[in-house]
Amino acid sequence: MSSARADILAAIAATRAAAHPAMPNAAEITAQAWRLLDMVPGLRPDRVGADVVESFRARVTLPAIGATAEHVQSWAEMPDAVRRYLATHQLPASIALQPHPQLQSLDWQGVVTHPTIAVDEPVAVGLALGGVAETGSLIFHSGHDAPTLFAFLPVHHIVALETSRIWPWLEDYTAALATMPHPRNVNLVTGASGTTDIEGALVRGAHGPGFLHVVLIGERSGALTSDL
Amino acid sequence: MNAFTDRAARAVADTTLKLAIDRTTGTARTKRDAAVRAWPQFQQARELGRQIKDHVIAHLDHYLLEFERNAIASGAKVHWARNAQEACDITIRICKDAGARSVTRAKSMLGEEIGLPQALAEAGITRVETDLAEHIIQLAGDPPSHIVWPALHKTREQVAALFRAHHTDPGAMATVEAMVSSARRELRAKFMAADVGISGANFLVADTGAICTVTNEGNAELTTTPPRVHIVTAGIEKLVPSTAHAMSLLRLLVRSATGAELTQYTTFHCGPKRAGDRDGPEEFHIVLVDNGRTRMLGEGLAEMLRCLRCGACLNHCVVYRQIGGHAYGGVYPGPMGSVLTPVLDGLAESKDLPKACTLNGMCQEVCPVNIPLPTLLRGWRDKAWREGLEPTTTRGALGIWRFMVLRPGLYRLATRIALPVMRLFARRGWIAAMPLAGGWTRHRDLPAPAAQSFMTQLRQRKSAR
Repeated sequence: MSSARADILAAIAATRAAAHPAMPNAAEITAQAWRLLDMVPGLRPDRVGADVVESFRARVTLPAIGATAEHVQSWAEMPDAVRRYLATHQLPASIALQPHPQLQSLDWQGVVTHPTIAVDEPVAVGLALGGVAETGSLIFHSGHDAPTLFAFLPVHHIVALETSRIWPWLEDYTAALATMPHPRNVNLVTGASGTTDIEGALVRGAHGPGFLHVVLIGERSGALTSDL
Repeated sequence: MNAFTDRAARAVADTTLKLAIDRTTGTARTKRDAAVRAWPQFQQARELGRQIKDHVIAHLDHYLLEFERNAIASGAKVHWARNAQEACDITIRICKDAGARSVTRAKSMLGEEIGLPQALAEAGITRVETDLAEHIIQLAGDPPSHIVWPALHKTREQVAALFRAHHTDPGAMATVEAMVSSARRELRAKFMAADVGISGANFLVADTGAICTVTNEGNAELTTTPPRVHIVTAGIEKLVPSTAHAMSLLRLLVRSATGAELTQYTTFHCGPKRAGDRDGPEEFHIVLVDNGRTRMLGEGLAEMLRCLRCGACLNHCVVYRQIGGHAYGGVYPGPMGSVLTPVLDGLAESKDLPKACTLNGMCQEVCPVNIPLPTLLRGWRDKAWREGLEPTTTRGALGIWRFMVLRPGLYRLATRIALPVMRLFARRGWIAAMPLAGGWTRHRDLPAPAAQSFMTQLRQRKSAR
């Protein structure tokens, strides 16, 4: 269908030639595009405080986002947090554990773990690459250690997030992304799955997880870190 | 009566429809309003959104080529389609090459625009709609009636009845929660069994070659991850320079659509499964669709290419709120649809749509990228007139009017005769019925005119001074 490609490009070029006779070069177009974003810091909804961790925690637990969150000091406390969650929600002590070395190396005594995920997995435990305080979003990059479906198939999704990996604003994350190889999937997960498709009323647990629990790991407060 | 007025009349008479429209658009307006009020810099952000889109539209070929280059580098296959037929042909060919029997679809208005559901049916491929609303209307056999809430025309009671009739394990259906659970159970296995997943794209990111989907349900990722093949169909206007630019537009899009700050799931899909990946599609195809968009560039409709498909103009339109989406007869309803449908279906077929508008300006006011919708609608009215598409009676009446207003003496004489005659029919300041005015008075009263014309009153005041 190369002729379709040529026709579409020619049609665009023809209309542009009428409007802007001198087409700037590629570098100039890119520079123009980025100059537009200079105004972004002045017009974002002003809500990220000096304490980025607290801003994230406050946002992710808003009813509109619908997640729960707790805080632990170190990775060693993560399995306990999961065990407590399972007990509180009367869930079976069997979890799909994301096949990430950081998670797999923890002591999961008392909980049966498996590195794969079933279609209706009751509980999956995962690790977020980072978070964004502005929106209360968790960020996942797909990869060998991070299958995409872990964030979509379970009923309960428990996610570990290191507090040092919370970016204040969406643009702080995109700046970091630009320095990494782009993964197959970038998933920004902002709360539990929901739908407003029947009469506009919000109902949780549409196709993705019905429950999202974030375990913040590390310093309780902090300003940001931009380098990964 | 023509087809549009027939459909509109039927819609206005349907009280269940009115209830359904009021429930969803009412909630949507309230939530958008709260989200916008919580963002003092919304107007500046909106101006930035407009500038980003205008910048891309002005350099569309540059960004298409950059996107194509980066998408191919990520392992995606990029296809180009001049029109709906080509886009469907390409998509069906990919499905057939993959030996697909079952296809899952994540909601895409572009897919509706190009007629993909029909093309899949004709090819004998089972289509499973995974967005809850699309699932509802697939069961009902209806077209979408809103671009964000395709099943907006269904009340919860109607959805419960549909699910009871079609789901294998519907349960009690007492609450909306129970209906959502039933759909979840029904679709679970189908997600995993599909051979191909088809999605649209909210953004095409030029500098990474990724495509972005936004959903609240998580159905897009469950559509695009398990099947062996992922096909994206997207309009060429969906380009953004970078992921950062997409973020600025996402802030506007989501607030304007549902009043949330971000949808639950915002995903950037970049190419097929990588070495070592445990899930993801082995093939990733992107079909770039023109279907009238380059024509819009050349025909004074470039501003419409800014559209983010948020649906705010529908929710705030006094006409849409009375007649709902189906009455418009096109894929895209409401103000944005009345601008787009003449492009897609031809003005002769859709000339009534730009007239189904009070020009109150609400659509432009709530548009997150400030599309001058009333101006574009007036442009279509103007074109319909110039192309002689208006009925002879309208042209004749306006011809007489023109003849009169160009001759002030004659015009004043006519008003001097008409005023007392009209007042004969008035009761308490209103005219309920009058010969030649049935088209107006059948539905509402006409205010009685003043005893004397404006010009007469002016003359009297001047001479009294």
